[in-house]
Amino acid sequence: MIRYNRNVKEGLTGYLFIAPQFLLFLIFVVYPIVEGLRLSLYKVQYRTETFVGFDNYAALFGDPVFFKAVWNTVIFVVAIVLLTVAFSFFVGSAVFDKNAKYVSFIRGSYYIPVMVSMVVMSMVWSFLLNPANGLISYMAREMEMSTVNLLGNKSTVLPVVIFVTFATNVGQAIILYIAAMIGVPKDLFEAAEVDGAGRLHVICHILLPLVKPTTIYITIINIIAVLKIFVVIQLLTGGGPNNASVTLMYYLYNNAFKYNQLGVASAVGVIMFLLTLLLSVPQLKAMFNDK
Amino acid sequence: MLKKRAMTVLTAALALSVAAGCSGANSNSNSAGSADSAGGTSGAGKKEKVELSLWLTPQWKGVMDATEDGADYDSFFLYAADKFKKQYDKYDVKVNVQVVAGDQRDELLNVNLNGGTPPDMFFESVFAMGDYVHRGALAPLTDIVDDAARKDIAQGYWDNVTFGKDVYFYPFAHNPGTLAYNADMFRAAGLDSLVGGENEIKTWTLNEYNRILETLKTKLPKDKYPNAYPMALYALNNQGDTWNLAYLRMFGNKFFDDKNNLAVDDADGIKAAEWLKKVYDSGYSNPGAESVSSNDANAMFQNQQLGISFTNAVLYNNAKADMKAGKSPSFDMRLANIPSASGKPLAFTYVVGTALFNTGDKARMEASKDFIKFFSTDPELVKASKNSIPVRSSVASEFASQFPLFTAYDANAANMFSFTGNVAGYSELRQVLYPELQAMYTGEKTPAQAIKDYQSKGNAVLQKARESSVIKP
Repeated sequence: MIRYNRNVKEGLTGYLFIAPQFLLFLIFVVYPIVEGLRLSLYKVQYRTETFVGFDNYAALFGDPVFFKAVWNTVIFVVAIVLLTVAFSFFVGSAVFDKNAKYVSFIRGSYYIPVMVSMVVMSMVWSFLLNPANGLISYMAREMEMSTVNLLGNKSTVLPVVIFVTFATNVGQAIILYIAAMIGVPKDLFEAAEVDGAGRLHVICHILLPLVKPTTIYITIINIIAVLKIFVVIQLLTGGGPNNASVTLMYYLYNNAFKYNQLGVASAVGVIMFLLTLLLSVPQLKAMFNDK
Repeated sequence: MLKKRAMTVLTAALALSVAAGCSGANSNSNSAGSADSAGGTSGAGKKEKVELSLWLTPQWKGVMDATEDGADYDSFFLYAADKFKKQYDKYDVKVNVQVVAGDQRDELLNVNLNGGTPPDMFFESVFAMGDYVHRGALAPLTDIVDDAARKDIAQGYWDNVTFGKDVYFYPFAHNPGTLAYNADMFRAAGLDSLVGGENEIKTWTLNEYNRILETLKTKLPKDKYPNAYPMALYALNNQGDTWNLAYLRMFGNKFFDDKNNLAVDDADGIKAAEWLKKVYDSGYSNPGAESVSSNDANAMFQNQQLGISFTNAVLYNNAKADMKAGKSPSFDMRLANIPSASGKPLAFTYVVGTALFNTGDKARMEASKDFIKFFSTDPELVKASKNSIPVRSSVASEFASQFPLFTAYDANAANMFSFTGNVAGYSELRQVLYPELQAMYTGEKTPAQAIKDYQSKGNAVLQKARESSVIKP
């Protein structure tokens, strides 16, 4: 009993040290999750809340726009993550062993869009792509081409949003890859050179396996970021044309703040939370196994 | 040991301070406005401090006129608040005025309502705020409406702001929606005979209107008006959708049935949708209507890239003021009605007024009511309604000679249709139309299919909203 008390006393200082952070974690992370779960089972109307069980989930599964949002989100996640990983690995492997000034220049050039707010980037693209008075449609008109409306076309709106998001975010991944590649021991490259390995062999058999933890990390953070894709949709397409570019986050936002369906929006939030968890667990497992 | 204890106490204090910080934040969470009860009561000779918040969407600039120095959208309310404060004896009032973008109104309000921090007052078009009455978020204003106001403001406006038995908005002005056209462009295309008078709201037949579109497309000199299109079409979001709703009535569709359900899916409704699609496909409108907003269209019209666009009294006056101030190209801008197949033009109006939010704070609600009554009845302040169209006949007659368009708007009242903004679920209903128009413009749906889907989705929204409305018929 005395020993137990001593253990508790010794541990108390440690617990008190983590208490402030833990308290904030409980308030700002755990509480919203629990509250979101609770709200997803209620119908909320200004000051009254009515328990409706799984009605909000049933409403979701009966709405074709929800499935459209799920499908679009999956397309965005797959396309943007693949593009980001592939392109940043390509850029990283092409420049990591070059002159330090050149590497810095490349890093800086790709990182500038990351520093610019997504809102500003979306507005610039919106100006370029506006079908009535945008720069791209103006140039098309000047060249006697037909009207260009990339955002108003169901088959081009997704590629445009994918490109804009990819172009804005890829700098972060390039920085991470270059840092990881610079950290790969030089003797491995020298040994490969002695053995007569070409650049492609070096990239595939030395670089790729040795930067695997970075690849997993980039994949996870991008999956999580793209699952929450919102600003570019809100400012560039408004989910249109006819919901062709609506995503889960935009659907959630519309329900919560435009239609005032807080319960339905919370149900979308719960589904997104589970989806993120489902996608992240295997990746995290792979990362921890490696370590 | 002492050191360890000191460390333990320090850590505990740190944790407590964080917790205290959080609880402090909670107690101040009502950021929209506050009543400071520690300020003492009026009985003690010192008035209780009350801080109110008033939100508005952009209406007119300046206190009385957009040409005043430093004229802005909040000028009138800042002036009114100052005048109110000087003569008000119940509370020491401070009014915080915030201008919010029209397309952000519902988002901002919903966030603040759900967070328990709604504004005290909102000055806006009634149709856009009706849903908040049905949700129980607004408080009635019936008790501040006196006989003098009932006499001075016509019954039609009171009907517009009455939900069930109570008045929920104090009417201030109204804002008739019409078309605006560039008379210079008309003349350049040889359409002189179809240009109306300077102070006239011109009525064209549908055939004349179609001729105008065709002529503007083919005969407008390209060197003088490069990249110009005959008329504005937009469907990016719900902004300016009342004009889209008006176009859907062009062939005689009555839109709502007797039970306030959508009844747009009939031969006339489909014909109207087909007309819109034809205008778009023939290049009689700006390209990419599915991704153009009403704001884009308005800017294009002001830059002489559109011959005909939508407008209301405030937009029209603001555009004129911009031209006068050299902020936009100057041209001969005039008004016209939305034509219809029957020859009887289509016109509508938004009643603009102030709503009181049910914040639950007695002092703030009392002071807000007094402020609303003050600026909605003060003989000097109500004159600002001349920036759109006054709802008070006393103000309208006082300015009739100065603003000849008042007479034209008055005569046009016979062509008004009610777009029934008072139904429960109207805000969400507005979110249903534009995706269907987008589908129609992009060719994803035929006009008939788009109309059919709009009606079925819209009626589902209305049904759901009716069931949860706090206003019982």
